[in-house]
Amino acid sequence: MSLFQIRPDYGALAQCAPITEKPGTDRAMRVAILRARQGKQSALFGQQQAFDGAVAKLVRAIPVDAQVAEWFANESLIPPGRRPWKKILFNPAVLSIALAIAVIGGVFAYRVHEHLRDFPGADEARHLLSVAASTRSVLLDPLQTDAGALSDLFFMKHRLEHYDIPPEFADFRTLGSRVFDDDEVHGVAQIWVVEKRMQFFLFPAEKNPKDGSVTDFSDWRFVELEGWTGAVQQRDGICFMVVIRGREKDLAPYLEKKKE
Amino acid sequence: MTGDAGKAQEAFQNTVREAASRSTQDEPPPDRLWFFRDARWRCLALSEQGIQAEPGTLEETEISPMAPVQIERLASDQLAVWISAAPEPQRSALALFYLDEFSLREMLVLLALKAGELSELISVGRRQFQAWLDATTPVEGQ
Repeated sequence: MSLFQIRPDYGALAQCAPITEKPGTDRAMRVAILRARQGKQSALFGQQQAFDGAVAKLVRAIPVDAQVAEWFANESLIPPGRRPWKKILFNPAVLSIALAIAVIGGVFAYRVHEHLRDFPGADEARHLLSVAASTRSVLLDPLQTDAGALSDLFFMKHRLEHYDIPPEFADFRTLGSRVFDDDEVHGVAQIWVVEKRMQFFLFPAEKNPKDGSVTDFSDWRFVELEGWTGAVQQRDGICFMVVIRGREKDLAPYLEKKKE
Repeated sequence: MTGDAGKAQEAFQNTVREAASRSTQDEPPPDRLWFFRDARWRCLALSEQGIQAEPGTLEETEISPMAPVQIERLASDQLAVWISAAPEPQRSALALFYLDEFSLREMLVLLALKAGELSELISVGRRQFQAWLDATTPVEGQ
């Protein structure tokens, strides 16, 4: 026999073919029986089956001791098909399902968490975070002044009303600014400041689609995207967003200045 | 397995006691194969006590078409005695096979044999039993 032979020896399997048909007989045995029944040796296989059937019938006729039979009837010593939890847990199918549920749950929880903190204009703010991440300084018009002074510039040059910088950021020195229209947001003012290379965005607040009203909020609300964080405040229908590359805690010192 | 009902009963009872003892210690037998494995080893241990059959070579004859008729004439005790006289592991192989309770895979696990070995033991056992049948219950005309 070749060392690499993996095909079962059907002849040998047929020699121990089950006496009565049983559910769950494995495939190799089924093939062996089929071959034995249809092959040249089918008559011999028939004799073997008849022989085995007769012997098994005689075995069943062997009387069982009454006491033993009683034990069998009364005792239940095999635990009912209980599978150890470790075996169930490490089953590849269970692991795959658990992993899939964990991933789906994680994504769902993240989305819920994200939307719990949502506010009108959050989608635009997130979009502008991606703009902040991709902006290079050459795109902006160089302008070195106090950020608070740009409100007049936006109004005079671009007719953008109420594009005011909140007092806590008004003294920050600027590096450059621009006003642009985007596919998603129109009339966006972008300012770069020297302080930690932060960026300011001013853009129109999202209007209520039913009545066109705008609900302002004076507290800071946060959005995050790929390592960038923005704090948004809304006044007079205009959103002001300060953006920093970092986390909420990096912005916190600047936002707390107002309280002081 | 033992050729002696008393010994077999003793082996069986000890197996059941062992199972009960394990159950009380919160370590019940994992499956039904445990019972047969345990009982088999007890039977083997018991059968090694007392008078032992001398090892010899039995005659072999190909299975006869008349074998079922010959077997019908036997008493069940005769078959039990014949199987119990077979050497190990053929004795266990024949006993388990003709109990017709186990799949091939289960028998291989219980007997710790390969499929080819089990097949050989059973087919040789058939031929030897046929030879014995021919000697003890010959069919007319043979």
